[in-house]
Amino acid sequence: MTATVQTGCYVFGIVPAGTPVPATDGTGPAAGLRLVAAGDLAALVGTVPTDRPLGRAADLRAHDRVLAAVVAAGTAVLPMRFGAVVSSEDAVVTELLTPHRAEFGEALDALRGRVQYAVKVRYDQDEVLRGLLATDPEIRRLRGRGDDPGAQLQLGERVVRALEQLRPGDASEVLTELMGTVDVRVREVSAPDEVLNAAFLVERDRAAEFEQRAEQLAARHAGRLRIALVGPSAAYDFVGGD
Amino acid sequence: MTAAVEQRRGGGGYLDRPSPSSLADVVEMILDKGLVIDIYVRVSLVGIELITIDARIVIASVDTYLRFAEATNRLDLYEHGGKSIDELGKSASQGVASGKTKSALSGAKEKVSELIHGSDDDEEDEDEDYDEDEYEDEEEEEEEPVSARRSSNGSRSRKAGRR
Repeated sequence: MTATVQTGCYVFGIVPAGTPVPATDGTGPAAGLRLVAAGDLAALVGTVPTDRPLGRAADLRAHDRVLAAVVAAGTAVLPMRFGAVVSSEDAVVTELLTPHRAEFGEALDALRGRVQYAVKVRYDQDEVLRGLLATDPEIRRLRGRGDDPGAQLQLGERVVRALEQLRPGDASEVLTELMGTVDVRVREVSAPDEVLNAAFLVERDRAAEFEQRAEQLAARHAGRLRIALVGPSAAYDFVGGD
Repeated sequence: MTAAVEQRRGGGGYLDRPSPSSLADVVEMILDKGLVIDIYVRVSLVGIELITIDARIVIASVDTYLRFAEATNRLDLYEHGGKSIDELGKSASQGVASGKTKSALSGAKEKVSELIHGSDDDEEDEDEDYDEDEYEDEEEEEEEPVSARRSSNGSRSRKAGRR
């Protein structure tokens, strides 16, 4: 019935040749997780059918799961962005690995023995709004006029603007308390009540210390800021420009 | 109190360490970061259609304003020791004081303001983002392709057949 299914080579990331293929719970759409090596580099790949779109929640999770397993095994990895599909293993060698060997080798060296953590800081919404109500008479005046759509818009805009004023001070305070890692990338803030979203490149042997610092930071700001720590993960924020 | 509720695993309990990571956290990393293969592979790139959500919110939008207006309206002012609005007004200076202990080295501070300043610049062009709640909803139905969605200004749609 089914004739040949078209397949492609899904690339999860680039690792040093000889890296063991990680054992994971699932590789999502990519079957047969394996290494395709060229010289001292290798691509971690799986086979995907090319006749169906990629991007289900399970696909996304699988991408991260495979790379997290590599990181957990202690290996350096250059994580690809989701959805990297090349026509064949041959192309992986001739177009990806061989021509960019020096570049990838250097990038891998820079990540050796290092992992990424993301620290996400938000205001405790009720607490920060209470503070704004206390300081801003205009917000107090506009509050509770739910029957007036114009006033509602004004209120919301005023609150959002006030949060924008508040953010830089709190963001630098938090960032200052976490400085001292190998590298930092501040990501764009994505919601009005978000204070800081930043990725930190951390030495593996100082990872526990970093986690502890994040924990202390969260304790110190408890009640006002809500702090989440994501990682250790592959160094997504520290490969390539963007 | 709210912070204690956030505890998800071990440790002192104030830091939220979602495990596994939320889908929104994963998406943020693997769709926005990482090596972009198009830069390296041109000839043999397979243009599989990527159906991924672009459920970003526009920060400065009517929706956002209304959301925060609503949050402000429903705020229970008496939850914290029954202070009246007037009392809140009096304690204003403590309420939003942000600079507590400033013990950092000045070198670190310069670096920090540089980083923050950089991010402020980006903010003006990049005013969209993921709506986490929507991701969590989608996650329940892993069999269904996550539907493509456009943000209000549509400038970052990721539904793209590439070549």
